[in-house]
Amino acid sequence: MLEPVELKDFFIVFFSGAMVIMAGALYSLLFAWSKLQSKPWLMVLAYLAYGILFIAVLTLGSAAHLHGYWWWLVIAMLVGYLLAPHGIWKLCVATHLIQKPTQTDDLPHSKKLQSKL
Amino acid sequence: MKLNHLNGGQQLAVKYYTVAIILFVAQIIFGLLSGMQYLVPDLLLGVLDFNVTRTIHINAMIVWMLYGFMGSVYWLLEEESKTEIVGLKLGNIGFWLLTTAVTIVVLVFLLIQSGPGDDFTRWFINEGREYIEAPRWADIGIVICMLIFFYNAAATFMKGTWSGISGVLVLDLVALAGIYIAGMFYTPNISIDQYWWWWVIHLWVEATWEVLVGCLMAWGLMKTLKVDRKIVTTWLYIEVALMFGSGILGLGHHYFWIGTPEYWLTIGGFFSALEPIPLVAMVVHAVYDAGARQMKGNNNPALAWLIAHAFGNFFGAGVWGFMHTLPQINLYTHGTQWSASHGHLAFFGAYATIIIAMIYIAVPYIRGQEGIGSNLPDGGWKWKWSLGLLNLGVVGMTIALLISGYEQSFIERAVGGSTWYGYFAAQIHPWFVQGMEWRMIFGLVTAVGLVLLIWDLLTIGKQKQA
Amino acid sequence: MNNEMPWWASETFWKKTAIWVTAFMFVVLVILTLDTIPQITAGSERVPAYAVINKHIGYEFNDERNMQVPVIGGDAPLFGKKLSEEDAEALVSHGKKITQGRNCMGCHTLLGNGSYFAPDLTKAWLDPGWSSEPEREALMIAFLMNPEENARSFGSGRVMPNLHISEEEAKAVIAFLKWMSSIDTNGFPYNFTVIDKES
Repeated sequence: MLEPVELKDFFIVFFSGAMVIMAGALYSLLFAWSKLQSKPWLMVLAYLAYGILFIAVLTLGSAAHLHGYWWWLVIAMLVGYLLAPHGIWKLCVATHLIQKPTQTDDLPHSKKLQSKL
Repeated sequence: MKLNHLNGGQQLAVKYYTVAIILFVAQIIFGLLSGMQYLVPDLLLGVLDFNVTRTIHINAMIVWMLYGFMGSVYWLLEEESKTEIVGLKLGNIGFWLLTTAVTIVVLVFLLIQSGPGDDFTRWFINEGREYIEAPRWADIGIVICMLIFFYNAAATFMKGTWSGISGVLVLDLVALAGIYIAGMFYTPNISIDQYWWWWVIHLWVEATWEVLVGCLMAWGLMKTLKVDRKIVTTWLYIEVALMFGSGILGLGHHYFWIGTPEYWLTIGGFFSALEPIPLVAMVVHAVYDAGARQMKGNNNPALAWLIAHAFGNFFGAGVWGFMHTLPQINLYTHGTQWSASHGHLAFFGAYATIIIAMIYIAVPYIRGQEGIGSNLPDGGWKWKWSLGLLNLGVVGMTIALLISGYEQSFIERAVGGSTWYGYFAAQIHPWFVQGMEWRMIFGLVTAVGLVLLIWDLLTIGKQKQA
Repeated sequence: MNNEMPWWASETFWKKTAIWVTAFMFVVLVILTLDTIPQITAGSERVPAYAVINKHIGYEFNDERNMQVPVIGGDAPLFGKKLSEEDAEALVSHGKKITQGRNCMGCHTLLGNGSYFAPDLTKAWLDPGWSSEPEREALMIAFLMNPEENARSFGSGRVMPNLHISEEEAKAVIAFLKWMSSIDTNGFPYNFTVIDKES
């Protein structure tokens, strides 16, 4: 059953909806950057971004009345956004493994990246 | 202009690009007129009413983007297949056929505009269904031209070599032509009408076009940044899986309110929430690629427009889409300026930008040069300013329309309950009117950007030769 | 250093995945379509038969579904003339062809889809702007035939252009609008005030 958003919550829904995607992108950006540069402190910022996403998703969930089976959408967003950058990063590293060893010399990060897999 | 040094496919591409730009100009001119009619309601009343200007505004956009895609595919066809194009003559016939059809359709829209409620009108004047207003004879013409295009691509790859990119591309073209047929019939039942109508609109714009752009991006990345083909191909497959995986059933977010059963509310809501995932994948992968190789482009304008594409797609499709996609809120935003706001940024960000990038990739070759150096005699102010003004203009219009749409969802939809009175109460509200004024101002900014873009495309690299 | 590419990152794996995912999603869409089409065919529960224009149509809140739904009432033949299902379909179809030929969607939205320059027509038949139920039909005909002089633009200055709609055409358009207002649109538009129900 659908429970439409209440008038007073319009702004909250629009804003938290935008924040879900923005924070999701920021999280994946910082996550990838931290891995790439081997800077653990960036990872802290990445998870801070995820924290914002977490709050945004819960806010959206309560303002848009995502109860009942709609609650699964909230869970899916929380877990999906958390894991997606991990999976995609692993894919990035693994798909780039095919480069010939001679090539890796002029690619500054690939050795480091390979050793990390 | 002499084009003998280009291969056959590229010569065709230049023609398609030229018409694409002309239609881009038409889109902007009629967009400005439509925008002005919001502010001055009797402007051209009874001469070129809003339904005429707006129809040409959106149809010119769809068609110029199709021309841009076809041009881009023809541009890379011979290089990718490593052989000469199979049907150069046929390609030329297809081009003139399509261009003649488009010209006649536009003239009929402008001069005849509407007709009585019979089958003749739908076949020869106006079908009256948003985005696919073109009369039925033109639909058939478009399908024939798409088939010629498909044959040229498939047969050329068949004669030369296939690759992962060309495989995805050709299959995508089959889907592109096939889905268009879903919109080519008449039914008195508006629910069934709109059910199939969305197959054309959504499955083009949010599925097959996206994949086509994925192919162009893959090819563009190999060209401009020398990324390894195997990696690019693997990632194209990943993107296809993610885009079709979320996009096909994402169709559900158009089936909330057209009479379709309630389960579409759930399907549409869930799959819309998945649609940003391909965008997240792109963010991570872009950072990886940027770190894993030196960014050494020999075509700065093209690279800049590719970056604009990444951002535009993310904000237009991702952020602006998700903000109002869940049915709990879409109940209020459906069919308001929200849709216009989302549409402006998404079409520009996802498609206009990449076509402009592809044209910039082609321009130096058309002039017989290797690339566009960073040491342009005038400092490249024209491409930089046109990039800035076009993006500023579209983003400005998007935000202006967002404010109008926000007010409209409140006053008309939530409080006014979408009655005629509620509708007009929202239309005369200061927030709405000011939003429309700012949209007009940023529309003019966009137009100036377009003029500069054309000037730049016509002149960039010329001074060096002189 | 491990230089072997894992199977889940190989080109062939993703090629197959892309094909299977696309095929699977498309098959699901086809199945859903096969389930949906009968439910939105005229004469179904959600999309009534065209002869519904012989009946009174309302739009009331349904507690169980938590939304407004169309309510088909007693006899109220359009223009006082009861039509058979075939005649009703012919009339509604003519009306829809007129809305397409005059490109109504270039300004209006139907079921919320179209342009945003003029009001949504989903429940136009039920709009309180038509004064009262007894006066509605005559007012709608007058408006469609001469929109510039019967403008109802509520201070916006926006006027519907004269599309040279004859009386017979206007009646067909109204039949189409009346039929469209009977479609169950999952509560869209929300909070709609029905004609003669103003508090």
